[in-house]
Amino acid sequence: MNVRAPDTPGARRPSVSRAPRRPWSGLAGAPAAVVLMVLAGVVAEVGAAAAWWAPDVLPAPSDLLPAAARIAGSPRFWQDALRTGAELLLSCVFGVVAGLGLGVAFWKAPGAGRVFEPYLVSFYAVPLVLFYPIAIVLIGINQWSVVVLASIMTAIPMTLNTWTGLRAIPPVYLRLAASIGCSRSQTLFRVALPAAAPYVVAGLRLGVAYALIGTVAMEFTTAQAGLGYQVRYLYESFDAVGMYAYILVIVAVSVLLTAVLEIAERLLPRGRDT
Amino acid sequence: MSPATAPPTRDGCRVTAGSVAVAVIAVIAWEIASHLSFVIPEPLDTFLALGRDLGDPRFLAGLRETLLAALAAFVLAMLIGGPAGLGLGLSRRARVVFSPIITMLNGIPKIVLYPVLLPVFHLGYGSKIVMGLLFGLFPVLINTAAGVREIPDVYWRLARSLRATRWQTLTRILLPAIRGPLLTGVRLAVSLSLVGVVLSEFFATERGLGRIVLSAYSSGDYAGMVSTILLLIAISFALSLFLWRLERRVR
Amino acid sequence: MSSPGTGVVLDDVRVEFRSSGRDGPVVAVDGITQEIPAGGFVSVVGPSGCGKSTLLSVIAGLRAATSGSVRINGRTVTGPDRDVGVMFQEDSVLPWKNVTDNVRFPLQIARVPRAGRPRLGPGHRPGRAAARRRIAQRAQEAIDLVGLGGFERRYPAELSGGMRQRVALARTLAMRPSVLLMDEPFAALDQQTRLLLGAEVRRIWGETHQTVLFVTHDISEAILLSQQVWVMSYRPGTILDVVDVDLPADRDASVVSTPRFNALHNRIWERLRTEAMRGFAQENRFPA
Repeated sequence: MNVRAPDTPGARRPSVSRAPRRPWSGLAGAPAAVVLMVLAGVVAEVGAAAAWWAPDVLPAPSDLLPAAARIAGSPRFWQDALRTGAELLLSCVFGVVAGLGLGVAFWKAPGAGRVFEPYLVSFYAVPLVLFYPIAIVLIGINQWSVVVLASIMTAIPMTLNTWTGLRAIPPVYLRLAASIGCSRSQTLFRVALPAAAPYVVAGLRLGVAYALIGTVAMEFTTAQAGLGYQVRYLYESFDAVGMYAYILVIVAVSVLLTAVLEIAERLLPRGRDT
Repeated sequence: MSPATAPPTRDGCRVTAGSVAVAVIAVIAWEIASHLSFVIPEPLDTFLALGRDLGDPRFLAGLRETLLAALAAFVLAMLIGGPAGLGLGLSRRARVVFSPIITMLNGIPKIVLYPVLLPVFHLGYGSKIVMGLLFGLFPVLINTAAGVREIPDVYWRLARSLRATRWQTLTRILLPAIRGPLLTGVRLAVSLSLVGVVLSEFFATERGLGRIVLSAYSSGDYAGMVSTILLLIAISFALSLFLWRLERRVR
Repeated sequence: MSSPGTGVVLDDVRVEFRSSGRDGPVVAVDGITQEIPAGGFVSVVGPSGCGKSTLLSVIAGLRAATSGSVRINGRTVTGPDRDVGVMFQEDSVLPWKNVTDNVRFPLQIARVPRAGRPRLGPGHRPGRAAARRRIAQRAQEAIDLVGLGGFERRYPAELSGGMRQRVALARTLAMRPSVLLMDEPFAALDQQTRLLLGAEVRRIWGETHQTVLFVTHDISEAILLSQQVWVMSYRPGTILDVVDVDLPADRDASVVSTPRFNALHNRIWERLRTEAMRGFAQENRFPA
């Protein structure tokens, strides 16, 4: 639920440089991560078997995994997953489009950008969750109150990164575009945005991560359906194994999403010309 | 060209005025909206509700509990995240082993772990402080590590050529060199610790502003709910704005 | 090869900048009336901050003159023109495109008619494939011309600074402009690379006979490359001296040891020295 220095306005350096790319270099530690996870599983198993803690505090993985598998086969799970997935997808689409547009607009009109900058920086992604009770009063307890706030959460890093990336373009690229007679849209789409791509993609990665975090957090607070809602529901019905299974699923989904975004970020920036 | 080292320019004043104007327009829009929908409390009623609440000892106790928990979470996040980030930035081996797992943990919606914390740290301060810590830890850790990694190599050579001791290198070169990213981490940790605590209180707690928001919601006291949320947002906004300005000044 | 009205004609060009200070506008370039005949090679030398890059931007149509006019091949310059190629001092090779795609880029831009205005008459629409083939061929010619053959698939990050400026040169040449404007293109390179690339530019000019304006702060480079050197003063930039370089056309770097080269060098340096000191004093706020 946060940011690396390079992505925040100010530190402004995308984590991927254009120098020789090695998409897997950062994943050299992946085996270590797996080992640590397996180790945690073993500790949990042994601890549960030895009754170091009550079973409803942390059920044994050997109970948890079959439960997770059973849940993954149930239609209820797929309804919730679909709901969360749809909220996530909509938020990402809205947020990315709005963020790109605002980032470009602020680049063209820096005065407007500087006026809004304090708000964007202060609401950077997560504090917006606090508005959720207001959103459910205004919109109702449904997917739209989640989508509206999650879209804004996605749009903010997208806006700031797009804007920062466009400001960081070497000025000579724009003089080049002018000298070879690029139109305004050619300058934007074929020179400026590709030049800002590492920042834009970093913003995309953050935006998607925030959309997931925000969506789940809001469902968890109050909702009628969704993966986050199920955790709360099962907690309140004292179904520890079911709850842990859902938490496990959410963690797995977020880990998968993070990995995909990390790899995509390493692959995309070089881009190709059409 | 740091905006804050120079005396406030006319341009800077104009931008601030513009930002204030945005807030004023937002309040006007709110006022208009409150007349269109009965669920939206009027701005004035909301501010009155805040005044009423601030005279209520139960509200003040909740405010105190939330802020204390957030403060504790933030301090813990700094104490753990700062040194861990330094270690991660300095040691290549540590980076290789831990950075994927940190990236993964960072991407998890940590709030779903709250029910896991409850039986271990209990319903009082414990669980929400730990949740606030989980929220605030990663920005400090990741920003510190990134800051250390981005220190130009020539600084290390300078330190060696001056025969600086380890302590001198840390306090005279390393910390000043990473002050920008470090402040970014601090700024994010401040507001995230608070958010983590309040989200925990939304879920289950005995006291705190998050609980007050939810009980105002369920009793239909929308003015009280909005005013409490705005108080939280204002606290987080003021702190991050202050730190953001500081950040731009040191850059 | 020169006929009246062709080449580059500067008529009383003046450029002012609005300054933030209290002194009113800064005059960057003033009263420049000069001509480069078609196919001519002229270098501009001057101290840093003398407005030579500004003058080049005006000729390129990237900046408007405050007064006066520039005509290229008889047409008054009002904006960037595809018949005028510009090469910049900064690394302007786009990092997300490989060498070939960088060189093709301006050709692809030029192919698309701007604002829906067809470049060719109605009914005459060459197939996309044919156009693409022509672009590919032209780009390859330019790549071969600057000696980048074999590097087509490389990305800029894999090339040295000198190689990247070769890419920029190929990109400019691929447009086949009749006028080539070069703004200190090799200033960021080391001395040996600069000599090599200078020789390349001169060889290519010998083949293509484009009109060249070459901005530099290096007196030797100016004399080695060009037929004529314009010496500019520190702000406001005016032309102090026009020096015809009467060295053999097939000269190479060994010419620097000849007495004639030294004489030219000394004449230009004498002119520049006081200007450079004046500029240094003003930029550093010493009492002049």
